[in-house]
Amino acid sequence: MATEQILDCPLDQVPEGPEFLEAAMRWHFSPETGSPYWLERAKTLGFDPREDVRTFDDLRRFPNVANELRDVRVEDLIPRGYGPDADVVGVFESGGTTGPPKRVVVLRDWLERLMHRTEQDLQARGYPESGHWLSLGPTGPHVFGELVRWQAARRGGIRFTVDMDPRWVKRCIAEGRADEAERYAEHLIDQSAYILETQDVRVLVTTPPLLTRLARRNALVDLVNAKIAAISWGGAHMDPDTRYLLRTEVFPGVKLYGTYGSTMILGGLAERVTSPDEDIVVFDTFSPYITFSVVDQETGGVVRYGDRGQVVMHHVSKSFLLPNNLERDLATRVAPPPGQMGDSVADVGPLPTFDNEPVIEGVY
Amino acid sequence: MEELILLDALGASGPYHSRSRQTITELTGTPVAELSLVPRLFVQRTMAALREARALPPGDRSAALARAGRLFATGTVNGIPAEEYQHIVSRVSGMPITVVRSATAGIGRRAGEAYRTTRHARPQGAVDDWRDPLTCDGHAVWTRRGDVFAVHAAGNHPGVHTLWLEALALGYRVAVRPSRREPFTPHRLITALRESGFGEDQVVLLPTDYAVADDIIRDADLAMVYGGEEVVNKYGNDVRVLPQGPGRSKILLTGGDWESHLGTIVDSVSAFGGTACVNTTAVFVEGDPAPVADAVAERLAAIPSLPPEDDGAVLPVQPVADARAIEKYLLDHVDGATPVLGGDGVVDELGDGSGVLRPAVFRVDRPDAPQTGIELSFPCVWFAPWSRADGIEPLRNTLVLTAITKDDGLVDRLVEDPSIRNVYLGDTPTYLMPPGVPHDAYLGEFLMRTKGVIRT
Repeated sequence: MATEQILDCPLDQVPEGPEFLEAAMRWHFSPETGSPYWLERAKTLGFDPREDVRTFDDLRRFPNVANELRDVRVEDLIPRGYGPDADVVGVFESGGTTGPPKRVVVLRDWLERLMHRTEQDLQARGYPESGHWLSLGPTGPHVFGELVRWQAARRGGIRFTVDMDPRWVKRCIAEGRADEAERYAEHLIDQSAYILETQDVRVLVTTPPLLTRLARRNALVDLVNAKIAAISWGGAHMDPDTRYLLRTEVFPGVKLYGTYGSTMILGGLAERVTSPDEDIVVFDTFSPYITFSVVDQETGGVVRYGDRGQVVMHHVSKSFLLPNNLERDLATRVAPPPGQMGDSVADVGPLPTFDNEPVIEGVY
Repeated sequence: MEELILLDALGASGPYHSRSRQTITELTGTPVAELSLVPRLFVQRTMAALREARALPPGDRSAALARAGRLFATGTVNGIPAEEYQHIVSRVSGMPITVVRSATAGIGRRAGEAYRTTRHARPQGAVDDWRDPLTCDGHAVWTRRGDVFAVHAAGNHPGVHTLWLEALALGYRVAVRPSRREPFTPHRLITALRESGFGEDQVVLLPTDYAVADDIIRDADLAMVYGGEEVVNKYGNDVRVLPQGPGRSKILLTGGDWESHLGTIVDSVSAFGGTACVNTTAVFVEGDPAPVADAVAERLAAIPSLPPEDDGAVLPVQPVADARAIEKYLLDHVDGATPVLGGDGVVDELGDGSGVLRPAVFRVDRPDAPQTGIELSFPCVWFAPWSRADGIEPLRNTLVLTAITKDDGLVDRLVEDPSIRNVYLGDTPTYLMPPGVPHDAYLGEFLMRTKGVIRT
């Protein structure tokens, strides 16, 4: 099949992994179709992706170029094969935890593909067919709020939004201004209350810390239980005890599903549907476009199923290429469902950060 | 391998066995227990439940405390008899078994006395109940400043868990965040309190990781936090928080007769394995401190190195790595002081992965030497020269100051100084804590206030 036929395969079909990868490499590394960024970068790779990258494992040959996305002109990220009128949906930026933000470009065809998949996910999880959505989380340059907007629009709903600036929160905390971060977070909850009180919102999308904070207010808990059919959480880790308490005590009648995503993969993945007694959150990927490897922190080799390791994310689509991006997340490696390249992940959490030096002086 | 003890969180609707747990190991690194750690959501819901809960009537609180004290000190709690509990605490914390035994008895006794002890703090001009006939003409009624009291506890000595019992006696609902070093004591005590009449929504145990710890304080009305200088710096300006900071207890020795006080000095340094805030960490000697330091060192050097569960143990034991870290800290901070004992190191390895922290004695050459403020969790004492011309400045910032002096004018100044919290006179060891004598003021002064009531 021709390169573009494979890359543009119908939304309801899944291309074969190796065939897809070869086509993607041809596309991104041919002078006529590749992006200026990757064509230039290919000169220093030391291998020719068109020849040398044929399997999923070969994606690990790429260096992690995520940091270079802090400086690249966004025009240089768009594959030339789209011509001068590439349909740019938006430019999105990472949170900015570790320096200046990284930038990615979302093109129309990727959005269509992602939304088709998302629609299937929502269907399978029984999200309400109609009604409005409230995004209590980052908007601005971040893809979080935009994903919610697209999802709501797909289902004929309105996305209400309360904007959180995660960079400001991180800065407050880094500067030891926990009280300021606290005030800001309460301000966000105040604003969400106005929407929950007055609008017919059926789906709430937010982060675990904000959901926990919202649960401090009994009146809001009652409103959520009365109005909201499903809660999607993402953008941060949710520990299993919090999830258990939310499902059993705080929001017992509300569907609760996690999303694991990143700006660097241009999307998010819905939590695997499991029986309610299963005390584990698994994320399958959107293979062959978004895929994961779970690797040993020291050796970089893939860990065994059931073991924990660091998450490596790959995005390979017609519109964008970012393979072998080592994320600051730990996860348990889980066997993928049939047909999925790479790993599924469970119990995703942040890399442990070193605590302060043990305090020695004193008797306590 | 023996089965691990499960230390559940004790929430407002019962024990909670969490998915996130921390393994508690004894001195050799062998796991002995798993402590359930609760997330922020659990903390905030529990604190809200405490706020909703009613307190027991005063008489019931007093009786329940007494029952709980007996159960804690002598009974079987959570399937663990008292002797076994004491053995575990000794093997986990490294505290000599005799110290743990007397602490156990002390907690039992203090629980029984807790209600009566709170009476000491009540102003003479106040009554307990607005129904008291005195309020007819207008009077003060002693009332709580809040409803919910939080404690960030320490694990250095089980006795830290006697103080908050007074808050319970005064009708506060209490949340304790245990030290992850030694969670057995608060778990046992709170379990005993619940079996003796307190409701699950009246006293709770909330083990959390560091990130969530502040939530417990935020959601309480008042809090007490154990820690070092950093805790004082963090909470010193928060009127809702009572920091229990460094003790830096001291002895001032004037006059030529030091021989007859030698026992008091040695005991003040080494009681409780030297792990308490009331242990002496600096001795100021009028005249030449060298002979006193030598004599104290000689006595301390004679203490044997024993595993903590040995009836003859006096010194604390730590895992070797922890003990070495404390040793390194000490040796890094000698800074020109003259070693009298322990200058080459203080760790005596027992061969099973644990090490005894042996006593250390140093001399400094001036009373304002910064080393006199160093407080470590084993018998470690700094001797400094002192003369009347130095005044009370070197003696300040002290939990307990024992002053062996005949100079009443000096005593006046020590008693008046707000940074010296207790002044013991004569041959009195710094570690004495008899009931009725405040520890760091009466806790009731912090927990209560007077309110005017007039009935017409």
